Amino acid sequence: MSKSILETILEPGELRVVFQPIFRIEGETRSVDSVEALIRGPRGTHFERADILFDYVRRKKAEAAVDQACIAAICDAAELLPTGVRVNVNVHASTLGHNLGFADFLRRQVQKHSLGLERFTVELVEHAPTCNIPELMNNLTRLRDWGVRVALDDVGAGQSNYRMMLDCHPDYFKLDAYFVRDLTSDPKRCAVVESVVALANALDSAVVAEGVPSNEDLAHLEAIGVELAQANLLCPAIPLKQLLASDFFCDPAFGTPLPQETAEQTLPSGVESRVESGVESRVHNSVQTSVQSIDREHAFAKAAAASQSFYT
Amino acid sequence: MLRGMADKILILDDDEQLVDAYREYLTGNGYTVDCAQELEEAQSLLAHFSYSVLITDLRLSKLAFGGLDLVRHVRENSLATRIIVLTAYGWPELKAEAASSGADLFLRKPTELRDLGNAIDLLAGVSA
Repeated sequence: MSKSILETILEPGELRVVFQPIFRIEGETRSVDSVEALIRGPRGTHFERADILFDYVRRKKAEAAVDQACIAAICDAAELLPTGVRVNVNVHASTLGHNLGFADFLRRQVQKHSLGLERFTVELVEHAPTCNIPELMNNLTRLRDWGVRVALDDVGAGQSNYRMMLDCHPDYFKLDAYFVRDLTSDPKRCAVVESVVALANALDSAVVAEGVPSNEDLAHLEAIGVELAQANLLCPAIPLKQLLASDFFCDPAFGTPLPQETAEQTLPSGVESRVESGVESRVHNSVQTSVQSIDREHAFAKAAAASQSFYT
Repeated sequence: MLRGMADKILILDDDEQLVDAYREYLTGNGYTVDCAQELEEAQSLLAHFSYSVLITDLRLSKLAFGGLDLVRHVRENSLATRIIVLTAYGWPELKAEAASSGADLFLRKPTELRDLGNAIDLLAGVSA
């Protein structure tokens, strides 16, 4: 009998990892704060699209199994990132709410690849009511004890509601793109975003705006206190190879990636290395835009001066 | 045939050879065709794309009468998709159940490709 789609998805190497940087916005300066690891399904199938992949996974009630496979693929890929780069991973709240062993699984995977747990942020995603909040909180407590940060994804939409904010104590609110769209021209939308920012401040959380469509919206967000943004405008999700080839990590604080030729030789099977048609030039442009205000010479000089400590 | 209209077709069948034949025929007649092997895959595609016609096998190897579940899913979600049910079983009760679940046409397998094309023709201009 042929394999089911789910069995295929769970095979090593079938899930591919791409990365989208999250930027800290300070006036004209945009520096990488962290990267979100995003999953793409088997090539040549509908499941290359993450929304279709995870819709299918949720219908199959296979969130936990697929979340584990995603974590394994992401840790494989993250091994090649500079050691100072923090990595966001998506995990269904239901996975953490039903599997006490998930936190241990994440820790084992991270340690297997000699990555620091403190580099990771778990982004809680949920599309159905979470039925086991105590178990979810147990898992989150353990993760926090190990230094993992917590983000609440899609804030304002679906199940990322006030209860989740109170129960999960997220370090980050990831504001759903719906609320960011047309922010500049829509006072009501702006009022909602301002209220989320105020709430986040009161709860000691930071807000990440997702899907910011324009530089005007970006400036508007910064003016109302949103310092972090993730958007195709700044950089789309890109394969690891492109990410490593970008200027994003020229600040020595990020540490050292594997040399490019070594990274290419050691790309795990699930790590996306293909340059997708049309994406390369967009990335190139966005990289240029995002670093235009950074004093590159200064950054490289700093990197060279610090190389003794960061290259060992 | 519906060529030139909102002509996207979804096929749910776990017989790969048959699906390939349908896809080739319908694509050759100007349709955009998506194929699913499992009920949940078809449901996910229906959640993300609009299809003018769904062609579904009634019996799936991993889920007996999963095709009927999909027919009900389409109707419960009020999707404007016309539905053709295919099956090797011609039992009148089954046909009646498919119709009451919301199927528009019921075809016996094996079906000539031309008959499938005619069935799609028959659904042209009929609102779901």
